[in-house]
Amino acid sequence: MERILLFFLLISSVCFGQNGEQYFARQGQMTFFSYTSVENIKAQNDQVQSVVDTNTGEIIVSILIKAFKFEKSLMEEHFNESYMESDLFPKATFQGNIIDFDPSTLGIQTRIIKGDFTLRGVTKPVDFKVNINNLGDTFSLEGDIEVLVKDYNIKIPALLSPNIANAIQVKFNLEYKPYEK
Amino acid sequence: MRSKLFLTSLLVLSYLQSEMMGQDLWSILESEPVDTPEYVMSTFKGNRLSIGHSIETRKKGALEVTFMSRYWNTAEESNNNFFADRMCARFGVDYAFSDRFTAGVGYGPPNGIADGYVKYRFLQQGAGGDGSPVGITGLQTATYRSRQLTGVEDRSEFFNRTAFTSQLLIARKINTDFSLQVAPTFVHRSSSSNSLDDHNHFAVGFGGRYKLGNHVSLVSEYYYVANPLESIETFGSFALGVNWDVRYLLLQFTMTNNPIFTEDTFITQTRRNFNFKDGNFFFGFNATYFLQL
Repeated sequence: MERILLFFLLISSVCFGQNGEQYFARQGQMTFFSYTSVENIKAQNDQVQSVVDTNTGEIIVSILIKAFKFEKSLMEEHFNESYMESDLFPKATFQGNIIDFDPSTLGIQTRIIKGDFTLRGVTKPVDFKVNINNLGDTFSLEGDIEVLVKDYNIKIPALLSPNIANAIQVKFNLEYKPYEK
Repeated sequence: MRSKLFLTSLLVLSYLQSEMMGQDLWSILESEPVDTPEYVMSTFKGNRLSIGHSIETRKKGALEVTFMSRYWNTAEESNNNFFADRMCARFGVDYAFSDRFTAGVGYGPPNGIADGYVKYRFLQQGAGGDGSPVGITGLQTATYRSRQLTGVEDRSEFFNRTAFTSQLLIARKINTDFSLQVAPTFVHRSSSSNSLDDHNHFAVGFGGRYKLGNHVSLVSEYYYVANPLESIETFGSFALGVNWDVRYLLLQFTMTNNPIFTEDTFITQTRRNFNFKDGNFFFGFNATYFLQL
């Protein structure tokens, strides 16, 4: 009986102890490209937020759609108003796990992230490769992912379909620091 | 028995713990504010709603080239012209000096009216229930009539051929599809064709847009004049149209009751009521091409 109690205390202390292992990325960068023969479109977001729990390998990412900046302001307006409908869906989110993430190994390690990506209210399971550069008390996460326009119910008028790629290339670079409350 | 109870409670607890972890991460994220204040975008899609100005200003470095036109049949003649008996046009250029400040000039060949305007965005509507409930833009226009008209009170000097419109455009994007605009307006004309007429007019403009799709919207405008002209019968200017944006091109199709493009004239001197009879019905077509400098 006492042994079980002890065991329980031990488990819970381990669980609570994990709260200290959260890492926060505040101004993560995300860039997307759409390459077609008619037009190349590029936009960058410098306000991507992410939290990683290094013990569980859990990762969440929040991307503010309005924070994507375009070279052409009208394109930015149309992106928000006509394609992403950012009034209705202000954020894209990701929740998943870094498979086999080893926080004790310094240097670069390549890992797979699996999870659910939500864009315009549509959630799809995704997995992609990332390079994690572990510098001890901070680490960075960088990689790319392809987003298929048709998966997320993004409507492109037939007239404009030659201008927008079916698969959008998304690159990201997130730098994590220990989270302090 | 007891140990079983402990074991199940342990399992439940550890499950709750793992559930909490996921939630914990999101609560960390939500506690961190995002840097930029959030504003509502695209209350309307064009610099002009349909015939009049909208609250929108373009972002810095945007240059827009605009062709505006109206087509109509005259009531008197029935000469069966192919498309329309009469037409008039305006060519204009609009440039955004900053995200809040846009200016433009234009000239209409048949009427000989040259116009210019400055537009400044005072207030942006906040998004997500924060910030201002409405957006406010100030507009000042000036027009000059290059054509000599007979019977006009006095138009010998340059200044006598001018007219000015000041508007406060107040608009709210009520939801993604629906936006409304109210525009208290003051019009000053340096000279009038009849001495009965006051040179100053107060008016209120009402406008709205409803999005039929992501690229097509229905727009309408109406202008009420508090002290209309005394010498002739005038009507409130009305427009009902469709705006269609195709990439860098904004196409605006309008049905209206006047053939003029400048605020001071169409607000105060619309001489026909809106209906579909020849002479009263004007079809308008605007094309605006966007360039980023």
